[in-house]
Amino acid sequence: MRLLVIEDDPLIARSLEQALTPLGNTVDVFTHHAQAREALQSGQFDLVLLDLGLPDGNGLTLLAELRQRGDTTPVLILTARDGIDARVEGLDLGADDYLAKPFSLAELEARVRALLRRSQQRADNRLTFGPLAFDAASGVATLNETVLDLPRRELRLLESLLLHAGSITPRETLENRLFGFGDVGSNALEVYISRLRKRLDGSGLRIRTFRGMGYRLEEAAS
Amino acid sequence: MIQVEGSLKARLAVWLVVTVSALGVLLLVEAYFSSQRAAERAYDSQLEAAALTIAEAVQWEAGQPVVEIPSAALQILATRHQERVFYAVLDADGQAISGNLNMAIPREWQRQVTLQPTWFSETHRGTPWRLHGRELDSAGWETQDPVQIWVGHTMSGRDALAEALFEQAVTRFVIMVLVAGILMLLAMRVALAPMRRLRHQLRQRDADDMRPLDTRVPEEMREMAETLDSLFTRQRESRDALLRFTADASHQLKTPLAGLQATSELALQSEHPETWRQALADVHDSAGRTSRLAGQLLSLARLRHAEEEGTATRLDAVSLLRETAFDWAQRDAAQGHDIGLAALPESPQYICGEDWALRELLGNLIDNALRYTPPGSVITLGAVRHAQTLEWYIEDDGPGVSAEVMARLHRPFERGGRQDTEGSGLGLAIVDSIVRRHAARMQVESAEKGGLRVRLLFPCLTRHEEG
Amino acid sequence: MSIRRVVLAWLLGALAPSLAWADNPLIVEAALDREVAAPLLDAFEAAYPHIQLTFRDRSTLEVDARIADTNDPPDVVISSAMPWQMARVNEGYARRLDSSAAREWPAWAKWRNEVFGFTFEPIVMAYRLDLARHMLPPTTHADLHTLLTQQRGTLRDKVTTYSPVRSGIGYTLFQQDARYTTRFWDLVAAMGAADANLEANTRSMLEGLSEGRYWLGYNLLGSYAMHWAQSHPEVFVQVPQDYSLVMMRMAFIHRDAPHPAAARAFLDFLLGREGQRVIAGETPLFSVRSDVVGPYTAQRLRDQVGERLYPIPLNASLLAFVDPSRRAAFMDRWQREFRRLSHPAPAPSAAATEPRIDKRAQR
Repeated sequence: MRLLVIEDDPLIARSLEQALTPLGNTVDVFTHHAQAREALQSGQFDLVLLDLGLPDGNGLTLLAELRQRGDTTPVLILTARDGIDARVEGLDLGADDYLAKPFSLAELEARVRALLRRSQQRADNRLTFGPLAFDAASGVATLNETVLDLPRRELRLLESLLLHAGSITPRETLENRLFGFGDVGSNALEVYISRLRKRLDGSGLRIRTFRGMGYRLEEAAS
Repeated sequence: MIQVEGSLKARLAVWLVVTVSALGVLLLVEAYFSSQRAAERAYDSQLEAAALTIAEAVQWEAGQPVVEIPSAALQILATRHQERVFYAVLDADGQAISGNLNMAIPREWQRQVTLQPTWFSETHRGTPWRLHGRELDSAGWETQDPVQIWVGHTMSGRDALAEALFEQAVTRFVIMVLVAGILMLLAMRVALAPMRRLRHQLRQRDADDMRPLDTRVPEEMREMAETLDSLFTRQRESRDALLRFTADASHQLKTPLAGLQATSELALQSEHPETWRQALADVHDSAGRTSRLAGQLLSLARLRHAEEEGTATRLDAVSLLRETAFDWAQRDAAQGHDIGLAALPESPQYICGEDWALRELLGNLIDNALRYTPPGSVITLGAVRHAQTLEWYIEDDGPGVSAEVMARLHRPFERGGRQDTEGSGLGLAIVDSIVRRHAARMQVESAEKGGLRVRLLFPCLTRHEEG
Repeated sequence: MSIRRVVLAWLLGALAPSLAWADNPLIVEAALDREVAAPLLDAFEAAYPHIQLTFRDRSTLEVDARIADTNDPPDVVISSAMPWQMARVNEGYARRLDSSAAREWPAWAKWRNEVFGFTFEPIVMAYRLDLARHMLPPTTHADLHTLLTQQRGTLRDKVTTYSPVRSGIGYTLFQQDARYTTRFWDLVAAMGAADANLEANTRSMLEGLSEGRYWLGYNLLGSYAMHWAQSHPEVFVQVPQDYSLVMMRMAFIHRDAPHPAAARAFLDFLLGREGQRVIAGETPLFSVRSDVVGPYTAQRLRDQVGERLYPIPLNASLLAFVDPSRRAAFMDRWQREFRRLSHPAPAPSAAATEPRIDKRAQR
């Protein structure tokens, strides 16, 4: 993947480059808007990490220009400003995610991965997370390239969790997906979750429960 | 925002014009009538003089009154203005002894004149006349009948005199108004001089000069000057507070930075990778804490900033709580704890507040819970609707605090009786500020499972307010 | 005919045919000898060819009566009977004249801008050459009195003056004389003693002088006398050297004038430079205006006679002269004085020589 980092602080820029390159990405770093604008016009990137406060202009202007050109490259905004207004304005202008400084590198990596995966999925219509994959077209789920033979509800549950992989899938979303809007018992969802957990046992993936909120498909190590 | 609304001079001028106009109308009406009266008096006395002159010429001859009209009497009657003149001398029966115009004197007037000399206004053949009649008691050898003498003239002289007098009055009035206007302008300049002086002094001031004013002002401006002084005082206090806060903040930030410096310095001097690793871990932790401290300081500054007031909007407290919980549950810091949501009200619950402040409030409480409980502790957030209030609560199953500490807990800069844990002590101060800003109440109590429960009670928007 | 007049006529004809100036009549009722005034009237007709002037020469009494004739009022009224003119104006029969000529007219010769004294006619004594052969002709009132007293026999029946009863002018002049000095009554008594003949007008007196019936005339209108003397060398005119009364002919526009525009034009002409120039140059009426040059001007008269000219004041005091009771008292006294020396016994009503005239005729 080819990543563009627009960040004027050299320490952060170097950290970003060092953190993202090992994930198999090519990272281009620019410290000024003017350079970045040129690079964006000439080259094709898979993700842009945009710092809003640059010495020669406001990052939001650059974002607006990008979207006006019809460029749909995912953009992750990085900023020290954590005001809700700046966040809303950025998202309104077409940013895909927003991360306030200071941030932990782990969180940044997770966000980047999610954004890349989302754009990848948009591209090939396949949901993947680690060894797990789901082809929406054929409705076939595979774990380590092995086809998982799953009942219909478990398959839908897996699809939903994969769709939100790395973040919490609210339990209401899952219930609606599995049972429609009908009234179901409070334990029904938990039953399917525990069945799916057993299938994923030992695969390096797990489903974590967030009490009262929902479930998250995550790598067992984290 | 200063909006210029007219000028004091214009206001004064309008008042002056209105007052002078009203007064002027009164004065001119009065002047009109008084000049009419003056002209009437002046000319009436000429009528009287003419009548007396004629009276002088009345004599009795053989029992009959005889009068040889004196030319002078007629000239007096005619006046400088060459009025047309009338005279008649009547005997006791009202018969004319002499006279020049066929102007009949009504009986009623003749009766009045027997009592006292009288003046009448009369229109004869389209021309207004002023008549005067007086009775002369004259004695002859045979008879003692009274004789009435009537004189009169047209009124052009009266009109001209009245007009001239009125014109004089008008001229005097106009001059008076002009002079008053000029004096008023001068007076305004003099009266506004202290204001100009004050303006000059304010303009001369340095931007950061917050000393009280040193000037002389008249009584009317005392209040304004005092208000300015108190404004300067408040600005001075606010600036001092800002300086103190900056000093505090910089001190607060310096401490962890000094730790960072020391740690990294030691690590650089060491040859052992194990020491490096330990130092790096310390540096990482400390940097995180410092970041958090900077964020909290910023929040505090924002909270104390007066201008941020008034941005409160109508918010759904349930979804706000849910979003914040989702946000925190996924953070790295929360991975060692079990953060969960209790069952929430199904419908939105609206309160009035500032979105960022309420997120900050919850964030600080969750952060505190994460910090002051051992890993693995269960932290639960919930919302309950009461009759008048909406309650957010956050409870944990950690060790809790003693009753004595509990009482002091809601005071700022208290660290729950412990000095061992990391944290600035600013968290609760921020919470306290936000709670007060939202007119909410905060209760800290022991949870059922032995941990701490913090309850926040917000006033609900009524159905009417929601609409 | 001057080019200017042709142009004016053409302009009037071209621009204002509807004005019908050509048919504009003007009726002037005047106590003024047509013969004397002829040059003035000719000049007016020449200046205003489109106005048809009707000039009626009448006695003062007739003129006065015509003023009050509401059925057929005249346009302009001219009379030398000053008190009666004044009385009519006071009654409101005059119309105000607002023109520059009227405004500039001297204040002592106008009243209310309604009536204007437009001539300046001295009152004179006239004598026949025969008088000078017998005695030194009188030059002052005192001279006359002395002469009448000392030469009573010679002058008996040879003296003439106005009848105050039959002539308004005469009455006015005597009234004015009496106002100046009580010695006037001595003069009246002296004239009575000399059996003075009382005439109704100046012309009769002048005719008597020319015919030789009279040697000496008192209180003649200077204008007529001077005009007469030019053609009758036997008559000499003497302006009294102590004081000389001056009579003004008074003209006004009638309130109900049927042709007010023409009347205004006429009066403006009378008062204007042109009319006054004609008066000064071609009539013996004497111009009032000081800016007019000619043989007959008030200014020239003053230069000759000095400051002893006493114009009869044109103001409200004149009204006293027409007061009936005052007039009656004056007449009574006149009769008494006139007879004092010839008929020493007082005769109170004494209408023998002078029939009392009823009140209407006095006007």
